[in-house]
Amino acid sequence: MNRTLENLILDAKNAWDAERSSGRELIGVCIDTSSIARGAEDTLAKIREVIAAKNLNIDVRVVGSWGFNWLEPTVWVRSAAGTHAVLYGNVTADRVEDFVQRTVVDGGVVPELALGVIEGNSLDGVGLIEDHPWMQGQVRRLMANTGVIDPGNIQHYLANSGYEGFGKALDMVDEDIIKLVLDSGLGGRGGGGFPAGRKWDFLRNATADPRYLICNADEGDPGAWVNRILMEGDPHLIVEGMLIAALASNAAAGYIYIRYEYPLAVERMQNAVRDAYELGLLGQDILGTGRAFDLYIIKGAGSYVCGEETGLINSIDGYRGMPRIRPPFPAQAGLWNKPSNVNNVETYANAPMILRNGAEWWANVSDTKEKGTKMFTLSGQINQTCCIEIPWGPTVRDVLEHYGGGMEEGSVLKGYQPGGPLSGMLPASEADLTLTLDPYRERGMFLGSGGIVYFDQKTSVVDLCTFFLGFCEDESCGRCTTCHGGTQRAVEVLRRIGVGGGRESDIEKLEGLVKTLVWSNCLHGQFAMTTVKLALRYFRDEFDMVIREKRDPSQSLAGLISYRVTRPDDPSIQAAAAICPVNAFVEKDGKLQIDDDPCIRCGACKELAPNAIEIVDRFPARATAEVTAAGG
Amino acid sequence: MASEPTVAELRELVAEFRPNAGHVLPSLNKVQETYGYISRRAIEVVARQLNTTPALIFGAVSYYSDFRTTPPPETEIAWCSGPACRLKGGDRIREAIQHTLQLPLNGHSDDHEYGFHLGQCNGTCTEAPQVWVNGKVVGNLTVAKAIELARDVKADS
Repeated sequence: MNRTLENLILDAKNAWDAERSSGRELIGVCIDTSSIARGAEDTLAKIREVIAAKNLNIDVRVVGSWGFNWLEPTVWVRSAAGTHAVLYGNVTADRVEDFVQRTVVDGGVVPELALGVIEGNSLDGVGLIEDHPWMQGQVRRLMANTGVIDPGNIQHYLANSGYEGFGKALDMVDEDIIKLVLDSGLGGRGGGGFPAGRKWDFLRNATADPRYLICNADEGDPGAWVNRILMEGDPHLIVEGMLIAALASNAAAGYIYIRYEYPLAVERMQNAVRDAYELGLLGQDILGTGRAFDLYIIKGAGSYVCGEETGLINSIDGYRGMPRIRPPFPAQAGLWNKPSNVNNVETYANAPMILRNGAEWWANVSDTKEKGTKMFTLSGQINQTCCIEIPWGPTVRDVLEHYGGGMEEGSVLKGYQPGGPLSGMLPASEADLTLTLDPYRERGMFLGSGGIVYFDQKTSVVDLCTFFLGFCEDESCGRCTTCHGGTQRAVEVLRRIGVGGGRESDIEKLEGLVKTLVWSNCLHGQFAMTTVKLALRYFRDEFDMVIREKRDPSQSLAGLISYRVTRPDDPSIQAAAAICPVNAFVEKDGKLQIDDDPCIRCGACKELAPNAIEIVDRFPARATAEVTAAGG
Repeated sequence: MASEPTVAELRELVAEFRPNAGHVLPSLNKVQETYGYISRRAIEVVARQLNTTPALIFGAVSYYSDFRTTPPPETEIAWCSGPACRLKGGDRIREAIQHTLQLPLNGHSDDHEYGFHLGQCNGTCTEAPQVWVNGKVVGNLTVAKAIELARDVKADS
């Protein structure tokens, strides 16, 4: 391996070991966007305050996420002897004083908050973290460092096998790197699954220079945050992955395009790039080898279609982020019309491991066609909102039960969306599909970048369609009439259905739009109607009921329900009337009632007076014969 | 409300950026991070700096939903439009806040004291349904709590 790199790694490992044997306790606090939302910054501030107040000689480290999002803030404590470390959940600021006392001052554990031992052997009744039920079946490769190292410290990364893959790649010719990546079977993690090695080879064989690498970190699918977990928890993994791809494809420069909504990821990636330059891992003469690669971070500004690779390229170019018409493909004419390659964050992040441990090791983790591990984020009406890393192959239901902790109390699984607003949604009866690419392709949809959203029986499919089509309409770039006009028409029709104005012919109209939008230029338009297409296939009864009977089985469609006071004498009614934002409560015969006209169906009154207000169908039930005679 | 930056201030701010180097987004983001919004004057300065036309820069500004051309309100409630929030009553929360503030999405009061903004999911779904008040998560909302929050924001201004 390159001598300079070898020495960097050796120094970092020595420093890492020295820290472990410093004789001081070390407290690691997860600070990322998910934990901050649950008060982790307050926890960190309180820990520092308590340390100062008690005059303790201990170190504090900011780390990324273990994926236990629902148990944030997570904190771990390593013993002064450096022999063991225990991870804890729900360490809120108000618990810190007691927590520090028991773990650091008394040198014990806090069993009621303990999740598991992350270093050393199990102790005092706390088991190993890998034996935690939620960790069962997970394989931590991409997330091996997240939650352990300080994402702002390049030495930590170097001490934990960081840049070793790059070191190996430096000793290889470009063709061999590509062959290794091809052998591994690494497919694009953005949803397409196209072999990364082939894409890199296209770029390698391009005839023009300079050529560019682009990392798509515009993780725009609502409900997906796997890329954020990596960027906030282990940013150098992505830098190293791009460096390896650069050696394989002879790219001169790279761009990491991160969405506006991820300011902390932007900051941590920027710091990582800065530190890599400082150590000579990036620049015009990398580690004295004469090889050159520059890397830049670009922050987006709020546009979903910039996650489409040519939209992203236009955006970096400085134009409106509208997807281009292909061909030419990015490998021929991408950024500044030079050969370019776009991969997802997770795709690049896999490269260092493949180089370090070999294609076979990397691939041999599941017997599916897809190789390596995949990260998923789970959300919706479930008990455990979280981020996991697993081998491909378990079913959607397994993942819900095992990692998502099942549906919330009072919720029954009605369906799920496997990967973003373009991927479509399926009913609970299809929840035994495996998390692999083919079952979804066969159904005319796709498994997206990793955000799975589970929904329950209280959810209206018509509302979900309106929501996702509204999103697609908002985010349409405006180039193709099929897309920007088509999504508008679809939203109009769906909204009309949702307020009781549905017509029998609407199904045909929506089906017409399904057929039309596939002729759009880019994936956004082509897949915008997937949600509706699948809803009409799998939830047709519900559409028919809403259209024909003007009734909503979920009792959640604002246009089809009314709120009614059933117990005007209930004392909670006063509070319910006071919270109403539109003053819909009126006195009639000395009693408070809800005027249906101004009522916006926000439901705030029923939250405060659950036993005195009920939801009823807005339209009176019609006999089936009448429905048929009227044509719906 | 902060006063509009001068041409000299803006020129200094974007002096590091170069034409044809992928600097449109970085320069506009820097202007917005510094002043909270991108004024007409800023568009002209950026266009000159990047050797292009104000029309092209304005085209980019207007394309992206997170760029603002007016100063942000003193207090902003950003509403998370993501799916986890939607499933837990997010849309009813939106409706209720809009009626309480008497504002459309992305609207603000005449005096710029408060505003209501469309936010995109960033994966803090453990807190669903949620809003962000000046960037800070206010989560696990009920519609009633959201109305009270909006009333407080309105009363405080």
